[in-house]
Amino acid sequence: MENNRKELIKVRHLGKTYKNGKLEVEALKDINITVYEGEFVAIMGTSGSGKSTLMNILGCLDRATVGSYELEGIETTKRTDDELSFIRNQKIGFVFQSFNLIPRTTALANVELPMIYGKVGTEERHERAAELLKMVGLGERVHHMPNELSGGQKQRVAIARALANNPPIIFADEPTGNLDSASSVEIMEIFTRLNRELGNTVIVVTHEPDIAEFTDRVLVFKDGRVVDEHLTAKGIENGASLPYGEVNE
Amino acid sequence: MLFIENIKLALIAIRSNKMRSFLTMLGIIIGISSVIAITSIGDSAKGAISDEFEGMGAGYLYIYPNYAMLEDNYLPAEALFSLDEIEAFRERFEGEVLYAAPYRTTSGKAKVGRTDAKFSLYGVGPDYDDFYKAIHMEYGRMVNSKDIEAVKPMAVVDIRAAKKLFGKENIVGEKIAIETYFGLREFSVVGVYSQKKSFLSGLSFGEPTYTCYVPFTVASYDPEEPSYYIETYVAPGIDPVTVSDKYCRWLERLKKQEEGFYIVETAQAQLDQINGILGKLAIAIGAIAAISLLVGGIGIMNIMLVSVTERTREIGIRKSLGARTKDILTQFLIEAMILSVIGGIIGTALGIGIAGIGMAVTHMRLVINPFTVLIAVLFSAAVGLLFGVFPAKKAARLDPIEALRYE
Repeated sequence: MENNRKELIKVRHLGKTYKNGKLEVEALKDINITVYEGEFVAIMGTSGSGKSTLMNILGCLDRATVGSYELEGIETTKRTDDELSFIRNQKIGFVFQSFNLIPRTTALANVELPMIYGKVGTEERHERAAELLKMVGLGERVHHMPNELSGGQKQRVAIARALANNPPIIFADEPTGNLDSASSVEIMEIFTRLNRELGNTVIVVTHEPDIAEFTDRVLVFKDGRVVDEHLTAKGIENGASLPYGEVNE
Repeated sequence: MLFIENIKLALIAIRSNKMRSFLTMLGIIIGISSVIAITSIGDSAKGAISDEFEGMGAGYLYIYPNYAMLEDNYLPAEALFSLDEIEAFRERFEGEVLYAAPYRTTSGKAKVGRTDAKFSLYGVGPDYDDFYKAIHMEYGRMVNSKDIEAVKPMAVVDIRAAKKLFGKENIVGEKIAIETYFGLREFSVVGVYSQKKSFLSGLSFGEPTYTCYVPFTVASYDPEEPSYYIETYVAPGIDPVTVSDKYCRWLERLKKQEEGFYIVETAQAQLDQINGILGKLAIAIGAIAAISLLVGGIGIMNIMLVSVTERTREIGIRKSLGARTKDILTQFLIEAMILSVIGGIIGTALGIGIAGIGMAVTHMRLVINPFTVLIAVLFSAAVGLLFGVFPAKKAARLDPIEALRYE
């Protein structure tokens, strides 16, 4: 298959070392990953495999120790904190395992938050937030506080919030980790719809094979390396392809 | 835009922790309310005192020997002013000195039927009410020059004394027997006056003493009795302080006394002196209030630090959604400032309330200085800013990953 798609994420020889006193822990070793626009990718691995560290780096919450990471052609490793804040605001939408909604703040206000930091006008913000909540099926609950919502509903608010500034990429870190199986399926279906119908690039970090099965392509992490890469049944069905050469030897 | 959002955010945070927010503000409330109460009471007292002195008249000059210069506290008889000398003084400065009379007062007891009243007989020159503005003639007339020359016992009586003794206001033509140190004399009433309720008289308790104006020639046993003291009013537009030296030097030459023997007291100088004392008092109490504001500020810092710790995760979430260091800093700074400004506003209202009650009790006019109020509110905002910086910096410096992981 000819590869003329746009490279959204381009990670080359990326490594991350944590220093804890005298102890040095190499969390990531020589990672090479490419994610194309419109892909639906799962990053799998057990806890301590380095997948969360990679997620933090890809999400511009953390910096790599060595190597390069380009997001939409922007080299991120040499950016200041405020520039990274701007990238997070404009290019990235986060969905977390523990929802991370701001307490005592309505669903609507939570969804508006990235737009406030993105300096979107009040009216436009309200409109878009309401629209997004409607899209994730919470049109009736815009004024609910997080503690009045179920886990699945909270995660849907979080998805709406991730979409607020219409970022090219969505990172979901164990998005179903705190949900029952029915809600998990619902949430994964929303991600699927975002990817298939709206063309969003979605990267899901998970340790559950069932969840990974919703995506097209899976990267398996172990001990800070990519040890396996394969297409899922759905991926094959969708005609996805593997950018070979990502697996560490 | 972010500024308004931050204000909204701060109000939400304050509302969701009402009790804690109130307790945090308490330090500021107490500090600001005491500052406002004290300055308002001070301003009101100043206002009351200057009203009092204004009544005395701007041109008032009181000439008397300088006791500090006397040997063995002995006042020489040669220093006494005769009535002729006082008149000569007035004539010498004709046009400038409009009123000059010996200062003579004596106490007396008036009796009408079974009612009696304590009187203070105040000897005055002609047309005294033209100069002493605190009194207002209600009925009849004031003492004039003919009364003084005639040495006739006549009196201008306080309207309250009239009511007490006669049960009516207009007692012109009535006679009152007043007993003084020089004997019982019958005074015919030629006028009735009223006087504004004054701050100083409002503070006196017990049986009231009514001032009764009489020709100075009848305020003592001997109509010609010389006096050490001269009461003078100068023409409007003349500053009593600048002319006082000239008068004293002239009188010293007249009485063959050394320079500096006579000195003057002016209404303005007394007012300045009292205002000076009040001002020093206000500074001292203000300093104490400033300490309470400092304590209030530390309270705010303490609570803001707790709040930052409690909301570590929220800060992490905000950062992950694109909040910059500056955004978090502003958010917490504004929250601290709003806390202290709300405290400042409540404190201002409370302080005005306290001052208002105090003024109502002492019958003083409440004077609120808008400048003081503005300073108080700005100062409380500054306290919030000062003590909010450290917690806000702590919040803004949090690492997003650590903050997101915080439980």
